[in-house]
Amino acid sequence: MEFKVQLGPQHPALHEPISIRMTLDGEVIRDADLRLGYNHRGVEKLAESRSFIQNLYLTERICGICSFSHQTCYTQGVEKLMELVPARRGLYIRTLVCELERVHSHLLWLGVAGQEAGFESFFMYTWRDREVVMDILDWISGNRVHYSMNTFGGVRRDIDEMQRKKILDTLDLLKQRTDYYLNLAASEPTFVGRLAGVGKLSRQQAIDLCAVGPTLRASGVPMDVRKDDPYAVYDEIPFEVSTADSCDVLGRAVVRVKELIQSYRIIEFLLKNLPEGPFKVKAPRKVKPNEVYSRYEAPRGENVHYIKSNGSDKPERLKVRAPTLANYPATIAMLKNGFIADIPLIFAAIDPCICCAERLVQLDDGRGRGRVLRFSELRAMANERAKKIDYTKREIAWPF
Amino acid sequence: MNPETMLETILREARDKIREAALSAPRRIEIRAPREHLPELLAWLKQALGLAHLGTISGVDLGESFEVLYHLSNADGTVTVRVQAPRSEPRIPSVCSVIPGAILYERELQDMFGLVVENIPDPRPLLLADDWPAGEYPLRKDWTFVRPAEVIPGGE
Repeated sequence: MEFKVQLGPQHPALHEPISIRMTLDGEVIRDADLRLGYNHRGVEKLAESRSFIQNLYLTERICGICSFSHQTCYTQGVEKLMELVPARRGLYIRTLVCELERVHSHLLWLGVAGQEAGFESFFMYTWRDREVVMDILDWISGNRVHYSMNTFGGVRRDIDEMQRKKILDTLDLLKQRTDYYLNLAASEPTFVGRLAGVGKLSRQQAIDLCAVGPTLRASGVPMDVRKDDPYAVYDEIPFEVSTADSCDVLGRAVVRVKELIQSYRIIEFLLKNLPEGPFKVKAPRKVKPNEVYSRYEAPRGENVHYIKSNGSDKPERLKVRAPTLANYPATIAMLKNGFIADIPLIFAAIDPCICCAERLVQLDDGRGRGRVLRFSELRAMANERAKKIDYTKREIAWPF
Repeated sequence: MNPETMLETILREARDKIREAALSAPRRIEIRAPREHLPELLAWLKQALGLAHLGTISGVDLGESFEVLYHLSNADGTVTVRVQAPRSEPRIPSVCSVIPGAILYERELQDMFGLVVENIPDPRPLLLADDWPAGEYPLRKDWTFVRPAEVIPGGE
């Protein structure tokens, strides 16, 4: 017998509601369908009536976690339209904030993955250490979430010598903690066993469905905008693109942990090689008619802004494609033929800006009787399933 | 393959499918093409140059016509394929047969610009509300937002 299950769309605490309708055969998902647009804010239309400077702060508010990604993607696009060469010190500070944001976002994700896999102390640990990164961002920019650091031609605030030393010292603590997580996760067979083999996405599927970021890299495709199409100062920084070949949630976790380690190296490099000089240059207000396609590697994947100017101080068109949208077709492919208890884990693995599946209605297709499952019940089902992992999976080692 | 070689290959081997092609910025190639040959052109770019990743599809309202831009990337650069559809006949072919990941972007185009994507596998609205009035396309330049009159639930 087949069931239709509706997941979502509303949750008061989270900012991006989504609805997924699934056809189930027993516990197995046969088909999934997405419904978007519950919180469409019309940012693209609004941007056409705001000046380039005002749009700096509008694009920042597209996302609450990767706010700097959208702002930087927009800023570097407009700088190209203005034919403006930003100050070198400004670019270094901009890249520093980019990487700090990646660290805080990946630590957040690790915690969510731990929670969805039933490893709640892991969640508490990573979120405590995420506070350390948030504090660094607070020292640099004065804000914890919307940093408002970018401006055309550089950044709005400089870093002084004391801040530089303090960040380098704090980084040691973060490195120690990340090593600790690696050991903890690697020596916990239930955690590794719960993630392995869940949410399969083959290499070919990932390419065909235009997946981005860690989702794509965990399927063995080494695509990273920082390497392929270097922006800011990434062409001067030594780092490696992190990939995994297991094509499952475990691979996505491995990619993110590897990226954390790379990010610490990048931050260290940036702080030790910070050039002297001005941190911003003066930018014009009006932009002559032109267009630009700006790419940026956000923590969740490739972020894209297409900007067209018409000679005035307002853009003619601003097109935004956030990484989560690009990963939705791939998510449907991952859900198909998976188990209902794996939904939280698969969804968490693309690191969506939505985790709002607080309420879930299970409808009996034939007779119309319904039953409401709380997300806590769904998680309990997931944990129940984790206890029944077959023993062959317990042999799987953390691939480090 | 660097962008210059990519451009040469395009000009040499896909002459019949495009109108013009040029380098527009470092690592950026622009192609203007007629809309009829779009799926064949994208299939050729994917097979010959490895341009399998579709970043997004951007629509622009030019007044008399709509411009649709397909941003394709590989490890060496980004190729933007540009097609136009007149406002009187806003139709473009679907590219989902070549790039299955294009489906959400094509549905978004239908919602926001009122372009008709022919042979699209799933033509349902994507972003607009279920009770959105027919024939209103928010990202067209002549569309403006009018705030509806406020209604207090339950009367005064």
